Amino acid sequence: MIYNEEKKEIISKRELNDLDKFALEFTDIIKKYADYVIVSGYVSILLGRSRATEDIDLLIPSIKLVNFILLWDDLKKSGFECINTSNPQKAFNMLEEHAIRFFKGVPIPNIELKIIKNDLDKYSYENKIKVILGEKILFISPLELQIAYKLFLAAEGPEAELQSDKDIEDAKHLYTIFKEEINKEELLYFSKKLNVEGKLRLLK
Amino acid sequence: MKICDVNINLEELKKFKEQNAKERLEFIKFWAEYIKTHSDKEWSKQQNKLINSQLRTARGIVKEKSGKLKNR
Repeated sequence: MIYNEEKKEIISKRELNDLDKFALEFTDIIKKYADYVIVSGYVSILLGRSRATEDIDLLIPSIKLVNFILLWDDLKKSGFECINTSNPQKAFNMLEEHAIRFFKGVPIPNIELKIIKNDLDKYSYENKIKVILGEKILFISPLELQIAYKLFLAAEGPEAELQSDKDIEDAKHLYTIFKEEINKEELLYFSKKLNVEGKLRLLK
Repeated sequence: MKICDVNINLEELKKFKEQNAKERLEFIKFWAEYIKTHSDKEWSKQQNKLINSQLRTARGIVKEKSGKLKNR
């Protein structure tokens, strides 16, 4: 994998797995109606972490009902179903409040779709990284925020217990892979903002 | 052995848990270094075995359960 920090671009020549194909199938549809950014666990997996997941977290900006209905119909045409409801109007209303999930055929894996709500979401979206997978593209959250946020998500507790937390492991994976390229000041900034500065030592 | 004969040494288990966590982190580091020193094609092949098998297992369980429900 090659990460070009200036271009905010990662070139990966990895072979695609079923999870990647699922993510690409969904994003191929959603990108017609909204720009998106992928956050959380799948980011680490896409970048090589040796673990699986049940869902892929995806953020989009606020969307108009008319566009949401078009997206809904397009997803339905491609075999995607919403776990929360089969009514698009209800799904739209839910999306204003919380995440909704889409699956295809079976509930695992599924996409957790959320509207951008807070500044961290907004920063992820506005500073997203393009991951080039051959002819395909996925957009992911900036690595510095991703690492700090993973440290934040990790359960509180003594260091010995923290070490086996999957979020700490995700953060450590990303840090080890990209430690030469990531912006240390940004990582420190987000770690301070999220009050996880003390957990940074777990990355080393 | 009867259940009443089972002795549990929590101190020993705690040490095991700590050691296990350390070893997991060592593996995370090892795997990350492996990724950096091997081609994307090579490491992803190994990672895909894990991910594809998890997803296929999950799909299999769902299909098996829905089959059982239909046969009720």
